[in-house]
Amino acid sequence: MNTFASRFSSTSAGAELSKAKAIAMEDDDFSDASWGSEAGYGSLAKGVPTFSIPSVADPTAFLRLHTDDSSDPNCRIKIQHGTTTLAFRFKGGVIVAVDSRATAGSYVASGTVKKVIEINPYLLGTMAGGAADCQYWETYLGIHCRLHELRNRERISVSAASKYLSNLVYGYKGMGLSMGTMICGWDKTGPAIFYVDSDGTRLKGDLFSVGSGSTFAYGVLDQGYHWDLSDEEAQELGRRSIYAAGHRDAFSGNTCNLYHVKEDGWKFIGNYDVSKMHYEGPGDVPGSAGVAYGYDIRVEGRSSADS
Amino acid sequence: MPAMLSTQPHGLPHPHMQTEQGPQQRQFNPYTENGGTILAIAGKDFSVIAGDTRQSEGYSIQTRYAPKVFRLTDRAVLAVNGFAADGNMFVKKVRQRLEWYRHAHAKDMPLRAIARLIQTMLYARRFFPYYVYNILGGIEEDGSGAVYSFDPVGSYEREACRAAGAAQSLVQPFLDNQIYFKNQTPAPGTSHPTHLPLPTVLKLVIDSFTGATERHIEVGDGLEIYVVLAKGASTQALEGIRGIQETTVTNDGERVFIIQRELKKD
Amino acid sequence: MSIMEYNGGSVIAMVGKECVAIASDLRLGNQALGISSNFQKIFPVTDRIYLGLPGLATDVTTLQELFRFRVNMYTIKEEREIQPETFAHLVSSTLYERRFGPYFIEPVIAGLSQTPSGGFKPFIAATDLIGCLNFAKDFVVAGTASSKLFGVAEGLWEPDLEPEDLFETISQTLMNAVDRDAYSGWGCVVHVITKDKIITRTLKGRMD
Repeated sequence: MNTFASRFSSTSAGAELSKAKAIAMEDDDFSDASWGSEAGYGSLAKGVPTFSIPSVADPTAFLRLHTDDSSDPNCRIKIQHGTTTLAFRFKGGVIVAVDSRATAGSYVASGTVKKVIEINPYLLGTMAGGAADCQYWETYLGIHCRLHELRNRERISVSAASKYLSNLVYGYKGMGLSMGTMICGWDKTGPAIFYVDSDGTRLKGDLFSVGSGSTFAYGVLDQGYHWDLSDEEAQELGRRSIYAAGHRDAFSGNTCNLYHVKEDGWKFIGNYDVSKMHYEGPGDVPGSAGVAYGYDIRVEGRSSADS
Repeated sequence: MPAMLSTQPHGLPHPHMQTEQGPQQRQFNPYTENGGTILAIAGKDFSVIAGDTRQSEGYSIQTRYAPKVFRLTDRAVLAVNGFAADGNMFVKKVRQRLEWYRHAHAKDMPLRAIARLIQTMLYARRFFPYYVYNILGGIEEDGSGAVYSFDPVGSYEREACRAAGAAQSLVQPFLDNQIYFKNQTPAPGTSHPTHLPLPTVLKLVIDSFTGATERHIEVGDGLEIYVVLAKGASTQALEGIRGIQETTVTNDGERVFIIQRELKKD
Repeated sequence: MSIMEYNGGSVIAMVGKECVAIASDLRLGNQALGISSNFQKIFPVTDRIYLGLPGLATDVTTLQELFRFRVNMYTIKEEREIQPETFAHLVSSTLYERRFGPYFIEPVIAGLSQTPSGGFKPFIAATDLIGCLNFAKDFVVAGTASSKLFGVAEGLWEPDLEPEDLFETISQTLMNAVDRDAYSGWGCVVHVITKDKIITRTLKGRMD
């Protein structure tokens, strides 16, 4: 077959990838890996990551058949779902708060997932949707942010970093990637948040929440949010919002991880058990009133239902 | 044998009755599920990785002895579960990469590096996944016991204990209770231990598998337990264990042992 | 979407030494959304029989009323209290009446049955949603967390537990199982039935 014609005959995503594969994997049998190291990143070190594609007419349909549990709950490969993540900008920087539950169907696969990905000391990414997609591409983004620093002798802006990620996942549009992420950080322009998802959406904003529990988090967040929040108040709002989602949403919960981004980079504030927050509150932490978050705990003996 | 091409007569029990009905569909289905369960628990200076040895497809047992746990280096053991053909091929490819690393660097790859390698290898098949759940157990460079668990497309996390496979939902909540002491309140003035001693861990592993064997048809036949000890860790707990074998290769200090036990075969 | 997972919830029953225990979670949900943390799924039938009804919430209420009616009719006609074995068959035949349009409930029965010598013998049973009886000697489970309950119970249960030990065993089994199930939880309730009293305790479970 005419390789020149076949290389340029199709514009579909699958064909694009097959082309990239054909070009980059010519030396597949004896790659850099045979020297024992590709900087730990395998094919990534070449700049263009390559992926194996099944030899079928429609690779996307193939992948969906075996991995999409929303259309077929009996599909074999269960990709983990369910999340609450939020981030908001205020005068003191950016607050990032997430839950830590991963579910596969009704099974709680993990209660200790790190849904905040520390891209570098100034950038955080949040994780919703496919866990592997977020982990892999945000780590990959970290590599390219470092390369940007080395090439340009200055840190990458949050805007540029998020656009890099957005353009990258847009290249795989329709192939089954699933991620809804917030890229948060501090650059020359101050605190910034960009929402990026696998459809290719990229939005700049002050306040976002992503995941199955986002509606519950927005409820608390919208009610308590304003620009002039103190650091302690803002951290408490993040915690309280994740609690609300963890409580009501079956697919969110276990613990809350809280981060605060300031001019000198991000800082991990703490890990809070959702159930402990319900019964006792978050403990002795700045911004907390020291009371339980749980409704029935707060109103115990004061509700008309008790009399 | 996995059916490479499966026919799906549309809603009709008899294939020959469908001549007047809609077109026959054929689909490429390279996956099957081979059952079994794997489990790993990390201690202070050791790591235990276990798996049953039954391999099944549907209600049939293909073999009563097909190992799911593999020694990679003297400080890393990998357990694979899901589609056996993918699992065996994946282990083969990981071992190949580790050997290349040994030739280039004249040492074994550290555990956390193996974990990241496995992530990139799994994610390279993002659009044609290995249908395999991996659990990597071993000893970190700082001498602590570690467990890494992976999903089929490479998301991973370091944990203290993890069960995967057919009976993960039976075993994991039991381990939450016995390893992490979930839903248990310590007596006033005391606290739960952060790390359990090796004999306790071995007892829990055996109990987990006998329990899973009782209630899950895909689990049983045999049990293979790998124990990885850190440099200088006491072997006292392993002395006198029936049929224990050592499979250490290097003199780096870490040691690997295998314990085999029978499980019910019905 | 499975109708058995629409509202969520789980029940377990265990045999002890001259006692039985039955326990459930307290969640009522609308798929992922938690609605109530005080939804009872276990009901007293007589002084020594309890019935757990995990499954579709609308059928929980319907069946509870139906069994109350049928047990009352039995008591009036027979002029004696129904025995657990008899009640189990009543449950079974009631469900089988709806063989081709079932109630979406998998009942669990726990009780003490009277022996000819005047003593009491522990009794537990469970059925599927069309009434196939399972008389177990150790424990029975049902609901969205059933596989998790099986696993923990298999590890923790032992024969001839005294009432307080049985309480601890069933509580630990239930709480650790529902914590791994997205559709169960939001608090638990445990009943231990002994020959001279019933111990009912509400547990402080995880609320997420």
